[in-house]
Amino acid sequence: MSSRRSRASVSEEEINELISRLQTLLPSARRRVGREASTTKLLKETCSYIKSLHREVDNLSDRLSDLMATMDHNSPGAEIIRSLLR
Amino acid sequence: MRGPNTKAFQQGFLKNMIFSLQACSEFCISSSASGGAAMMSLQQRKCAIKSSANIAMATARGGRARWPQAVLASSSSPSRRPSKPSSSPGKKKKNTHVCKKIVRRCLHTRRRWRAGTGASSLARTTSTTTAMIGSREIARRLVRKRTKVLRKMIPGGELLDEISLLHEAVDYVAHLHAQVDVLRRISNAVQRG
Repeated sequence: MSSRRSRASVSEEEINELISRLQTLLPSARRRVGREASTTKLLKETCSYIKSLHREVDNLSDRLSDLMATMDHNSPGAEIIRSLLR
Repeated sequence: MRGPNTKAFQQGFLKNMIFSLQACSEFCISSSASGGAAMMSLQQRKCAIKSSANIAMATARGGRARWPQAVLASSSSPSRRPSKPSSSPGKKKKNTHVCKKIVRRCLHTRRRWRAGTGASSLARTTSTTTAMIGSREIARRLVRKRTKVLRKMIPGGELLDEISLLHEAVDYVAHLHAQVDVLRRISNAVQRG
């Protein structure tokens, strides 16, 4: 039983650490000064943030596909991109 | 140091993306029987870019996380159909199916909750029922509900327990961030050049 309790306390610490790490990743972390976020609010915010990131990826790939319509898929374009980002 | 913010990850991601884009265009050229200039439709290109971005992110991440395998598995199983928006009605069917499941699950849990309290037959008087159940129980239920939603957002999250789910969430958010960053840089570069 004591092992179970120690296991539970260890995972609780781990959970708190993970939650604080998640909080720092979210954009709202910069606004809020005190850590008064409840777990459920944090989870909800994480979900909406992931959704917005997905939407952003969608928009960016839309934009890219529009741009690529005027460009060739072959190596010269890829070479340019690669050299620009090095 | 975490993976997604290093330059190595971004370069690996970029390389993978270029490879997969080239593979997509080659596949399209080879599959269209009418030889010559095979330009993908806008829809196809968009799908190709999105899937190659996900695949690139997953493969550049490497071993230790769970979600890359889920992303790769889900992108490799539906065979590439380079024609028509036939994917959208298929997706719609899946979406309605999933929605039905969710609704059924919600109703089921609500019924269980009603049966569990037992005191008030009218479930509308939620104030009394919540007072009876206690705030800790409510918090636990809310957390469970939110983790269910989170599980759906993270690829491969349905099999994980709560701690690994949190691990995966942290990892996935960081990598999505990097993916958005690289995509933004790519589109800026293409726009300029």
